[in-house]
Amino acid sequence: MTLLDSKQGNSHDPRRKMEQNVNRGDAIIKVEGVSQAFGAEGDPRRVVALESATLDIARGELLSLIGPSGCGKSTLLNIIGGLTTPSTGRVTIDGQMVKGPSPQKVAYVFQENTLFPWRTVIDNVKLGMAFQGVAKSERDDRARHSLETVGLVDFANHYPAQLSGGMKQRVQLARALGLQTEVLLMDEPFAALDEQTRMVLGEDLSVLLARTGKTIIFVTHSLVEAVFLADRVAVLTARPGKIKKIIHVEEPHPRKSEFMTSSKLGNLRNELYELLHDEIRKTMTNQPAEAGA
Amino acid sequence: MTATTISSVPHVRRGPIMSPGWARLIAIFILLALWEIGARVCADPLFLCPPSQAIGALPHIFSDPKIVNAIRVTILELVTAFLMSVTVGLAIGLAVGLHGFTKQSILPVILMLYATPQATILPLFVLIFGIGPAAKIAFGVSHGFFPVVVTTVAGVQNLRPQLLRAAHSMGANRWQVFTTIIFPHMIPSFFTGMRLGMTAVLLGVLLAELYVSTAGIGFYTRLFAESFSPPDLFALISVLAAIAVTLNELCRMAERHFRRWNDG
Amino acid sequence: MRPKLGIGQRLIQLGVLLLILVAWYIGTLPGHINPLLLPPPAPVFKDFWQLLNNSSIWPDLWVTVHEWLVAVAIAAVAGCSLGYIISRSAYAVRVFDPLLAGIYSIPAILLFPLYLLFFGLGAGSKIAIGTTIAFFPVVLNTIAGLANVDKSYIRAAQSMGANDLQLFWSVMLPAAFPVVLTGLRLGCIIAFLAILGGETISSLAGLGHRIVSLAENMESAQMFANIVFAVLMAFIINGVVSFAEARGRRGFQ
Repeated sequence: MTLLDSKQGNSHDPRRKMEQNVNRGDAIIKVEGVSQAFGAEGDPRRVVALESATLDIARGELLSLIGPSGCGKSTLLNIIGGLTTPSTGRVTIDGQMVKGPSPQKVAYVFQENTLFPWRTVIDNVKLGMAFQGVAKSERDDRARHSLETVGLVDFANHYPAQLSGGMKQRVQLARALGLQTEVLLMDEPFAALDEQTRMVLGEDLSVLLARTGKTIIFVTHSLVEAVFLADRVAVLTARPGKIKKIIHVEEPHPRKSEFMTSSKLGNLRNELYELLHDEIRKTMTNQPAEAGA
Repeated sequence: MTATTISSVPHVRRGPIMSPGWARLIAIFILLALWEIGARVCADPLFLCPPSQAIGALPHIFSDPKIVNAIRVTILELVTAFLMSVTVGLAIGLAVGLHGFTKQSILPVILMLYATPQATILPLFVLIFGIGPAAKIAFGVSHGFFPVVVTTVAGVQNLRPQLLRAAHSMGANRWQVFTTIIFPHMIPSFFTGMRLGMTAVLLGVLLAELYVSTAGIGFYTRLFAESFSPPDLFALISVLAAIAVTLNELCRMAERHFRRWNDG
Repeated sequence: MRPKLGIGQRLIQLGVLLLILVAWYIGTLPGHINPLLLPPPAPVFKDFWQLLNNSSIWPDLWVTVHEWLVAVAIAAVAGCSLGYIISRSAYAVRVFDPLLAGIYSIPAILLFPLYLLFFGLGAGSKIAIGTTIAFFPVVLNTIAGLANVDKSYIRAAQSMGANDLQLFWSVMLPAAFPVVLTGLRLGCIIAFLAILGGETISSLAGLGHRIVSLAENMESAQMFANIVFAVLMAFIINGVVSFAEARGRRGFQ
């Protein structure tokens, strides 16, 4: 099910320009010394999920966050999106400090299905626009356009329950695209899908991103997914989560399936594996299983 | 709205000053105080009494051997009706639930009877069994045994066929299958049935007690109401409510206990 | 939930009902059961037929239905409003939800003697008992519905910039609606049963009152006919309310 068939392999690649932008220091998102703790100081149950994370994300870049369960990947994402207030540190987007959800700038795709079951696909896509005060007349066009982008315009009047898991995630993506934000935050969007579906969706996503030029932060558990999609992969340590290393993936977008089987990807994946291996062991021995905070 | 708390969920949680349990007690206390003040200031003492007077009437209730006896008989009726409901309900539930044929033919009839308003046949029970405990027990059973049947059937129904197949593959006979698989499996729903049965028995027995106004509790409620002595009425009803809550709570505790070890 | 039934199973059910009728007929042949306790089927059906054809039951039916409607209306408004207010604070839910559930476990019928004292033998005491008993499922389900809306829905809506009002109308209400509706259905049904019970215990008019006075006059066949009528009413109310619930559920989607 390819949802993007045209405009692949443009000779001029916007991504490369983005890389240059990074070098020029044009960061759209700045994460400065962000920490997050749950529970009071001195409380034995206190959990430090994230410790002094500092990170710049360039305009148009795709950054993957990867790390063991409970290392604070999703917490970091929620802080950037304004859904969680950090204990210390600050995040700025376009120079403005993040104090709460900023739906004009940031759209979300969640891991779990957050489509509202009582609304049709297109009504789900329109809902965010309604919250934003987009004029009624404009909503329909925008919603149809973003459904077209993910290849689901034929399902506009279906209810979420009638769609497969992969399709639901594409509708979530359409809903996020419909908000026309510059930043897209994706929290393990493909985690609940089977491996084959997520490979195809990953390829489609890469094409889509090359086209829209959005700035994307993508949390994932999958090493291959991280390398395949990202311009940079930020590896987090076990709890308390710190940024251990940032790996650059020098490969133009849109990425094709050949990249998936290339030795370049294999080597990067192995490097990630080396970095993560010890961290994952640590979480398995030190901490009880907990939902990925 | 709970929604607004989402963004503040993490962080050092500055909890409310009081645990919910204490706040609940204080809420009850405030309600009683309001009732007390309201009843003292503006209510007609022939109809409404403050809670303090109801408590004051308790010794009077308990010093009358006839009233004490009526309460004792009611407890006896409740327990008897409950035990009968559970036994009869369990037997019928197993008989109906373990065979596909009876489940399809008899269960719908039972469900239909369950949905009928039994209050309408209460006079019939009194005609048949008289005004004594028998009518009240019978009426209690007529309420209590339906939930037991339905939950027993459900308990047997949700049995995973893999378990049965595993037992058969190991050569278990019918009786062994029943004692090692069916019975342990239905224990949680059986206790749920007991709890629901108790609630229903309470309704049935108390309804019958209140209906028969020439003897037992019903006689005294009518007497106190007609002689305009609300403190006695409130006291008697509080005693019955306390009995009901205790019996309910016992069943609930049993259910919680058995759910715990059987979950998962 | 309910599997489709084949014709064979329908026949079996019909057979069981027929069996009950036959047992009733044989049991009430002269010399068996005292006809005062269980009259034979024929006069009961005759009386039931007359009941449907003359209008003497309508005033009593209206009394009961009127009591029911008023009770349900009060319980719905009071239960939904209080449930909404409590559900606004997670702390209030933790304080009041167990309190309400605890009060709910007291058999409400115990309050009926008090209501008789306060509101008299007429409709007032029946409305009061019906309201009391219907109020609890409504308020508890309203709280449960609104307080247990899936957090991921709320997060999604907030991430898209929903304000409190939008959140309530677009997310909280539709998500909670089926649960609230179930509470309303339960409340409607048990209110009707409680009102019949109240009328049986002590009343001046209504379906329950008819049955009791016929029982006291030993008019067995007529009493059974009236019981059949009341049971039928209960089934009709059950059906109507369940239908309304199903429609409401779908209408909101």
